[in-house]
Amino acid sequence: MGILSWFKYKSPFGLAFALQRITGIILLFYLILHLCYLSSLQSKELYETLTGITVSKQFMILDSLLILLGVFHGVNGIRIIVHELGFAHEIRKAVLAISAILIILGWIVGSYILFIALGD
Amino acid sequence: MKFVIRRFKERSYWQTFEVPVKKGMTVLEGLFYIRENMDPSLAFRASCRMGICGSCAVKINGRPRLACETQLSKFKEVKIEPLDNYRVIRDLVTEFEGFFAKHKKVKPYLIAETDYENPIEQLQKPEELKRYYIYTLCIKCGSCLSVCPSSATLESSLGPAALVSAYRFNSDSRDKGKDERMKIVSESFGVWRCHSAMECSEVCPKKIEPAKAIQLLRREALR
Repeated sequence: MGILSWFKYKSPFGLAFALQRITGIILLFYLILHLCYLSSLQSKELYETLTGITVSKQFMILDSLLILLGVFHGVNGIRIIVHELGFAHEIRKAVLAISAILIILGWIVGSYILFIALGD
Repeated sequence: MKFVIRRFKERSYWQTFEVPVKKGMTVLEGLFYIRENMDPSLAFRASCRMGICGSCAVKINGRPRLACETQLSKFKEVKIEPLDNYRVIRDLVTEFEGFFAKHKKVKPYLIAETDYENPIEQLQKPEELKRYYIYTLCIKCGSCLSVCPSSATLESSLGPAALVSAYRFNSDSRDKGKDERMKIVSESFGVWRCHSAMECSEVCPKKIEPAKAIQLLRREALR
């Protein structure tokens, strides 16, 4: 027994459970870092200089990964809520498949919007 | 066919056996073959050999299954281990006292106002039986608890099988013990410990959907 048992993969549902925890922890750390980073930028010049570096196409891969983590955590979270309300247990495999499709679509669309927003 | 078995006698180790396989042979028959012809010290539990007693649940190729119901023709090689989340006593035999203690905790029996001086038949309509029938099929094999990640990190967690029993008796129209049971399952180690990993429903050999029973119990707890 131990926390490593959370990540013992037995079925796609177990994998989704483990990834939900991993993405949750990463998003929490990202949020803390993000808030610390932004609050440390006291002057307007410093803010514009540093955000000019991080909000760029060089950082797009990381931003795209962040979108993937966020979309996964959100969509998978909604799937869990549906089941926790006592619905769709018998069709859980189909619900999981639909969630996976929505995650991929959300990631692609989100990354595309980000790519367009960053411009040249 | 190659049988790779996780043995445990003071220390844990793997042992390989080559078993001659016939058409229709099950994993349990393979284990009996090993014990009768190769190594009489191999320890495993089995009783009914027909998927009713739940004694022979072991991890076969990484997934909990009933050895008596698992056909060898499904695999090229079988890797057998004791169930997770239980203390191993010897080889494939695990300690089930804790599992049954949890089951007992939820009062898994009818609590009815019976007048033993003037007993009357307790009638039930077919639709009332249908409400909980599926949950009566639980054979207490312990597979659900062995894969439950929430139970793995908190030993006092009731686990899926006990909660299924609680739901089964709560839904019985003849039962009067719902309030008593709800007090027990509404504790933090009860229904609220479930994080909907759904592994219990995936491995249940009787397709009982323990995860659904837990969520339905939660609904009742919120009322």
